[in-house]
Order: sequence, then structure tokens, then C-alpha cells
Amino acid sequence: MGLAMAKAFAQGGARVAVMGRNLERAQDGAARIAALGVQTHAISCDVRQPDAVAAAFDEAEKELGPIHLLANNAGANFPVLAEDISANAWNAVTRIAIDGTFLCSAEFVRRRIACGEGGAIINNSAQYIWTGFPGDAHSAAAKTAQATMTKKLAAEWAFYGIRVNAIAAGFFPHETSTAGQRDGGIEPLQNMIPAGRTGSIWEFGWLSAMICTPMFGAMTGQVIVQDGGESLRRSLMMPDFVPPRERADGPWGWQ
Amino acid sequence: MTGWLSGKSVRVEGASPAIMSALTSQGATPVAEGDCDIWVHVAQPPVVKPAHELSHAEWRASLDAGLDRCFLGAQDFANQCRTRGQGGTVLFVGAPEQALGADQAAAAGALGNLTKTLGVEWARDGIRVNSILTCETGETLGNLAAYLVSDYAAYVTGAVMGVDIDD
Repeated sequence: MGLAMAKAFAQGGARVAVMGRNLERAQDGAARIAALGVQTHAISCDVRQPDAVAAAFDEAEKELGPIHLLANNAGANFPVLAEDISANAWNAVTRIAIDGTFLCSAEFVRRRIACGEGGAIINNSAQYIWTGFPGDAHSAAAKTAQATMTKKLAAEWAFYGIRVNAIAAGFFPHETSTAGQRDGGIEPLQNMIPAGRTGSIWEFGWLSAMICTPMFGAMTGQVIVQDGGESLRRSLMMPDFVPPRERADGPWGWQ
Repeated sequence: MTGWLSGKSVRVEGASPAIMSALTSQGATPVAEGDCDIWVHVAQPPVVKPAHELSHAEWRASLDAGLDRCFLGAQDFANQCRTRGQGGTVLFVGAPEQALGADQAAAAGALGNLTKTLGVEWARDGIRVNSILTCETGETLGNLAAYLVSDYAAYVTGAVMGVDIDD
């Protein structure tokens, strides 16, 4: 999803620094973005470590110049029963998304304030932030924290001309998404969604980049749901509830 | 970044210069009545009065403009879409829930959940329904409206959003 965001920023003419824990994957992403004709730079960074984040921003600004826009996409997610979530798994999922979003945003904004210029941040949140996500408790917590932080940071940083928004994203199948890799692919998911289809990753990328442009210069503190109605499909007429424990298989099974 | 709405016709009920300007500059053709691809309802904000001083007529007028007219207009539009065998897009624009008086709180809250409901109920008809609840009246509002009614937002339905931090 970060690659789709980055490609949309590149389509708009931005130079793009790609931060990832794995340098090779960041370099692979940067090469694909560079193919669109913009300058790119790949950096290895663990977004949970404030010193590493500061160093990554130093490197990005040295290579590409001042960073004007920030997209927080770092996150991990996998279906697992709550009782089976290890402390390590809990820490990995929540700290990458929550601490990572906070640390990168704060580092970015300190630099923007020092320049005396505004900027824009877009956060990749999820469509299940209002309902919980039984069978995915770590991600449910992490993604809601990003959305609530979005509103508070927008309020705190409006004074400096920094805009902060989030997309509560539905399911956009891509190379590394969990559900799309299962037997049957994404077909079983299409019927679950009111729109009758999963999202195109481009649709997510476009919205992310567009919110950061001056066309949306007054927009801040918003969490925009883009999910084809998926998070709203509940009604008084529902199939029988299946506890996550009994959902080992299927498109979002934990086994 | 133009031409998002090329070939689309739009009916705008209520006045918003920023929205009309953004829609037409993106290539949409305004129509006064009849079939169209996009229906936008812009509710004028009611005058703020303490709840216990609102006359019944004032209360009714707010709910009529901020809720009933939205539903009935959307219903007509959706029926036209189905008759034509076409999809379509509905956008409701109004003030935020808590920005004005109790009449607006009721109307905007109802409108928000109506948006979520119709977005799902009409999804398989290819009709999308979204809302912007804001006090903003400038270019960002216009551009956001143009995005939401365009095919670039084909995967956005049942979404209720504001523009700035006070919304």
C-alpha cells in the first residue's frame, strides 16, 4: 500500500524517499517509483526507534532536499486468535503502527517548524477502527490509535500549517496482502463487500496523495473511509455469528 | 488535474459557489432538472437559536431542509438512475452536527447515518452516497466535492467527513 501511495506522489511530480526495515525491499520499491521519472532514495529504518527515524530523515533530506510531505504506512497485520498473540507479536504490530506513526510525524513536524513552513501528513488506517476486528486484535488497536492520533495531531499542528489526515482503508489486494494469497484468491471477498468488489490499489494511492496537495489545503483532522461500504454492511439481518476460533480457514482465517 | 467529471451531468440543489465552480471546472455539465449522473444537495445552515426558544415551525424548517429534502431528493435521483439502468452519485453537504443548534444536531446526525445506510442499500445499484459536514465554504470544499462525485472515488461510499478540525 505504501508503494501505491508513493507511486501516486511520484505521478504528481514529488521526489520520493522510501523507508523500510529491509533495505533491499525499499530499494526495489524505490526503483519501481523511479521508473515513473522522479528522483528517489531508499533508506533502511526501524520506525520504532527515534534515533533511527531522525537519521533516516537526515539521509532523506541530504539526498532529496527538505521533506514537505509524509505518508505513514509502516504496519504489519496477520489473523491470529487473541489468546495466541505473543508479547512479541503484540509489540511488533502495535509499535510499528502506533509508535512509528507518532515518531515519524513528530520528527517531520519538528523539521517543518524549523523551516518555518507547513506540510501535510497522510496516515494509512483501516476500515475496522470503529467496530473492532475479532481475530485481529493487535491490528484493531493499532489502527484506531493512528486515527485518533490523526485528529489530535491535526489540532496541535494546525498553528504551524501542518495538515494531518488518515484514510480508513478497506481491502485493496496487492502483492503482499494476507487474504489475496489464499486458495481462491480474492474471489470469495468480492461478495462480502456492498460495492461488489475489492478496491483497486490505485484508488487508495490517488486519494492519499491528493489529500496532501494544495487542492485540499484547508483539509485536516479527517479520517476518510474508503472501503466500498464494507465496514457498514452490518444490519439486523445477518448470517449467524462465527467466533474467530471457528474461523481457521477462509479468506481471513488464522490457520 | 482537470477533467475528473468530463461527460458527467450534475444537478445541484442549494447554493455553494465553491462546489459549483469546482464541478464545472472539472468538466461537469450542470442541469436544472431531469436525468443526471450526479446529485448534490447543499443545505443552508439554519439560524442558531437556543433549543427552548425554537418555534415548532423553525424546528420543522430545519429538519425539512437538512434531512427530509435530502432523503426525498436522493430517492428521486436513485429511482431515475434505476430507470435509466445507470449508476450515480449522491453528495450531501451541510453543517457539522455540533456546530449550530439542536435542530442542526438532529438533522446532521440523522443525515450522517442516512448516508451510511443508503450507501450500503444502493451499493449494488452502482449508486454511491457520501456526506461532507463542514462550515468550510472555500476551494477545498469544492475540490473535495468534485473528488467524491468523480469516478476516482468509486470505492468511497457511505463516508461522512468534514474538512477542518472544528467539523
